[in-house]
Amino acid sequence: MEQVVAEEELTLVTRKPYFDLPTACPLCLPVFIYLKLAHFPFRLDFNSIFPDSDQIPYVESGAYVAHNNENGGVIECLKQDGIVDLDSEFQSVPDWISTKAMISSWLADAIMYELWVGSDGRSACKIYYSDLPWPIGKVLFLKQVYIVKQRLGITKDNAKQREDEIYKRAKIAYGALSTRLGEQNFLFDDRPSSLDAAFLGHALVTLHALPETSVLRSKLLEHDNIVRCAEKLQMELIESGSSSSGPQFRSVPSSSAPRKGASNWSSKPRSKPKREKTEEEKIFKRRAKYFLAAQLVAVLLFLSVMGGNDSAGLELDDDVMLMLMRALLLIETISLLPTDLGPHY
Amino acid sequence: MSNPDPKPDPEPQKTFNTNDIDEEGDEGEDENENDLKDDEDQDDDVFGEPNRPKPKTREAQYRLDKLKMDSLLQRMQSGPVSVRVHDVIIKGNTKTKDYIIEAETEELKSVGSMQELLKASQLVNLRLQALEVFDSVKITLDSGPPELPGTANVIIEVVETASPLSGQIGAYTKAEARSSTVEGSLKYKNLLGHGDLWDGSLAYGYDHSAELSTGVYLPRLKGLVTPVTARAYLMSQDWLKFSSYKERSLGLSLGLFSSTYHDVAYNLAWRTLTDPSQMSSRSVRRQLGHNLLSSLKYTFKFDRRNSSMRPTRGYAFVSTTQVGGIAPDSRSLRFLRQEFDLRFAVPLGFYGAALNFGISGGVVFPWGNGFLNKPSSLPERFFLGGNISPVCALGGPTALWGFKTRGMGPTEPKRQVNDENADPSGVDFLGGDLAVTALADLSFDIPFRWFREKGIHAHVFACAGNVAKLTENEYRNFSVQKFVESQRSSVGVGLVVPTSLFRMELNYCYILKKFDHDRAKTGVWLTFTGAS
Repeated sequence: MEQVVAEEELTLVTRKPYFDLPTACPLCLPVFIYLKLAHFPFRLDFNSIFPDSDQIPYVESGAYVAHNNENGGVIECLKQDGIVDLDSEFQSVPDWISTKAMISSWLADAIMYELWVGSDGRSACKIYYSDLPWPIGKVLFLKQVYIVKQRLGITKDNAKQREDEIYKRAKIAYGALSTRLGEQNFLFDDRPSSLDAAFLGHALVTLHALPETSVLRSKLLEHDNIVRCAEKLQMELIESGSSSSGPQFRSVPSSSAPRKGASNWSSKPRSKPKREKTEEEKIFKRRAKYFLAAQLVAVLLFLSVMGGNDSAGLELDDDVMLMLMRALLLIETISLLPTDLGPHY
Repeated sequence: MSNPDPKPDPEPQKTFNTNDIDEEGDEGEDENENDLKDDEDQDDDVFGEPNRPKPKTREAQYRLDKLKMDSLLQRMQSGPVSVRVHDVIIKGNTKTKDYIIEAETEELKSVGSMQELLKASQLVNLRLQALEVFDSVKITLDSGPPELPGTANVIIEVVETASPLSGQIGAYTKAEARSSTVEGSLKYKNLLGHGDLWDGSLAYGYDHSAELSTGVYLPRLKGLVTPVTARAYLMSQDWLKFSSYKERSLGLSLGLFSSTYHDVAYNLAWRTLTDPSQMSSRSVRRQLGHNLLSSLKYTFKFDRRNSSMRPTRGYAFVSTTQVGGIAPDSRSLRFLRQEFDLRFAVPLGFYGAALNFGISGGVVFPWGNGFLNKPSSLPERFFLGGNISPVCALGGPTALWGFKTRGMGPTEPKRQVNDENADPSGVDFLGGDLAVTALADLSFDIPFRWFREKGIHAHVFACAGNVAKLTENEYRNFSVQKFVESQRSSVGVGLVVPTSLFRMELNYCYILKKFDHDRAKTGVWLTFTGAS
C-alpha cells in the first residue's frame, strides 16, 4: 500500500469548500487537517452532488481507495494501511480512549444536531446542497433532518429534553478539552494526533459554519484557548493551501478577525500574497512621497537659479542647464530607489 | 353528378357489410334517396319512395332490396355517386364524451361521393376502435332529410367496453429504451370519459433494468392536434457487473407530439448513481450522486421496410436528437446527444434471400461553461454489446454480435482490494462519447417446408464497431484513422426463429478483432430482440 501510494499522489475527495474552510463538512475537515498535520502531500478534490453518501470523504491513490464508511473511517484506514499514523505513541495514554469517545460521540452528535435541527438549516444547505437543483436539495435536506432526528432519538415529546442534553454534553466536552489543551497547541504532549484533527475540525466548523445565534457556537466561544488554537490552525495549515509540498508548521501569533474571501484551496497560498501586497503598498507610498518631494525641490531649485538673474536678457549657459538637469535627474533617481536598500549604501 | 337510373330495381336492398358498415333497410329507408329526389319524373326508383306501397312478402322485400343494391353498386362502379353528409349521429356513448368521437369523424364532413363516404367510414371505424374504449363500433349510412336531396346521415353506434380493466404481457422495444423489455401491464380504460387510457406496468429489460410505471394516454386533449401521453416511472438499472454503478430514476415523461414520422417527448427525472459495492474506478466514482435530468427528445423515424423482424425489402432511417438541460436551473444535467441509424434491405430473389446492411452512429457532448473540460454523463454515453440482434435494433449504435453487454470500449481499473473473491478482470467499462457500428446480414430460407412455414430461416452476418472518448479534451487526441484501425469486428452464421413476441437468434460468432479487456468470445450465442 505504501508503495502504491508513493507512486501516485494521494487525492482527498471531500465536500465543497464554504465559509472560508477548505471543506465545510464536519466529517471531511478532520481528514484534511490530519493530512496537513502529518505534512503528507495530497491533492484536494470535491464531490458536491452526493450529499447523502456515507462514503465521502475518501482518499484515493491509483487503484487504492479508503472510504469513510470502512474500517472506522479514512483516518483509521490510513493508519492501518501504514500510510499516515500520528497516533502510534498515544494509544497507551490513559486519557486517549476517553477523549476520543467524547469527541466522536458527544461533539459529533452536537454538531450534527446543530447543523440539521438546532439552527435554521441554512448552513447545512450551503455545505451540502448548493450544487444540486432546488427540488432535489430540498427533498434530501428533509430526508436528512428526519434521519438525524432518528439517530439522535429526538421525538416531538422529548425534543427539548434531548436538545438540553446534547448542549450540556457539548459544554462538558468543551470544558474538558479546554482544560486538557491548556496553553498548548495540541491535546497530547503538544504533538499533533488524529484527535487534534477531529477536535479542531469540529471547532472550525462550529465557529465558521454555524450562525452567530447558534447555541453550540456560543458555548465554544467561552473557551478562548480553543478558539485561539482553531484560528491559528486555520491560518497556518489551511490558508497555506493544499499544495503537494505541505507547509512547515510553526507558531505564529493568531489573528482575531476571521479572514473573508473566496476559497481556492487547491493551489495558491493566501497569507503571503496579502503580506507582500501590504509591504508593496508601503514602499510605493514612500517612493511616491520622495518623488513628489524631489519634484518640488527641483522646481524650487530651478526657480531660485532662474529668479536670481535678469529675466529680460539673460540666457543660461548650456553647461549650467545641463548641470541643473543632471541634478534634477539625480534627485529623482534617488527618490525612486528602493528604500530597503538604503541602509546598505 | 347523380345518374338517374331509369330501370326498376326489382330486388330488395342489400346491406353493406364492410367492417360493420351496415345499411338499414328494414324500415324501407333509402340509401340514395337523393337520386330519387332528382328523378321525380321516374316512377320506378332504385330505392323505394316513402309513398310506395311495401311489398307484401318478406321474400319480395328482400328481392327488392337486393335489386336496389345491385343497381347502386353498378352505378358506383361506373362512376362517382354524388352524396354529402348532412349529419353525424352518435349513439351508445353514455360515458364517453361526444367530442372524442366527433374528433375522429372529421373526414366524413368533406366527402363528396358515395365511394369517398364508404372509404371515410371505414377509416373512422378503425380509428374509433383504435381508441380501445369501445367493444364494438357500427357505422350505418342513412338517407338525409327529404328536403335536402343528395345528403346522407351517418349513424355511429358504439358499445362502450363492459370491462374497462384489462391486462397484457408482451415484449417490446420502445423508442426511448435501450433494449427490449418484457412487460406486464394493467390498463383501465375510459375512466374520465375522455377516451383516456390509464395503465400501470412492470417491465424487466434485457439490459438488467426494472421499471415500475404508471401512465395516461389522452387521444384528444381539447385543443391539441395529437394525442398526449404522460408517464410517471420509477426505474432502476443495475450496471454493477459492467461499470460498478447502479442507476435509479424517478421521473415523468410527456409525449408532446407524435405522428407517423415525428415524435417529441419531454423527460424530467431525478437520477441517482450509486455504488454499493464500493469497487468503482475513479471515473465512475466522480459521477456518483444525484442529477436532475430535464431533456427534450426529438425522433424522426422513417421505416419503409416490409418487416422489422425479418426485413427483406425497403429502407429505414432513424434520427434521435436529445437536448438535456432544458430547465431554468443551471445545475441540471446539460448535454447534447445525437444518434442516427440507416438501414437497407435488398431482396435477392432466391430462397427468400435478402441482404440487410446498415450503419449507425452517435455522439454525446456536455454543454455549458467549461464543457470542453467536463466529462459526459455516464448513463448518456454509448455502450456497445449485448444480447440483441443488430438487425432488429433500430435506433442508434447498440449491439455487435459476439460482444457481451457493455463489452467493449474505454475501460478503467476498478478499486484494488486484497480480496480473493474480487473480480479478477477488475475493470469498469466507461462507454464512449462517439460510437459507430456497421452491419451486413444475408438471410435466406432453409430448404425445408416445415422451417419455411414457421418462418425459421438462416443468416450469415458480419459487423464492426467502435467507441471513443471525446470529452475532457480527449478530442484533441482523436483521429479518424486511429478510430477505424481500433474498431472491433465479428462474423458468424446462425438460425433465426421469429415468434409473436420477439426474434430469437441462435448464432455462432467468430471474433475477428477485439482488444484485451473486451468481453467477447467466439462461440454460440443466443439473442432475443423485441420488435422495434
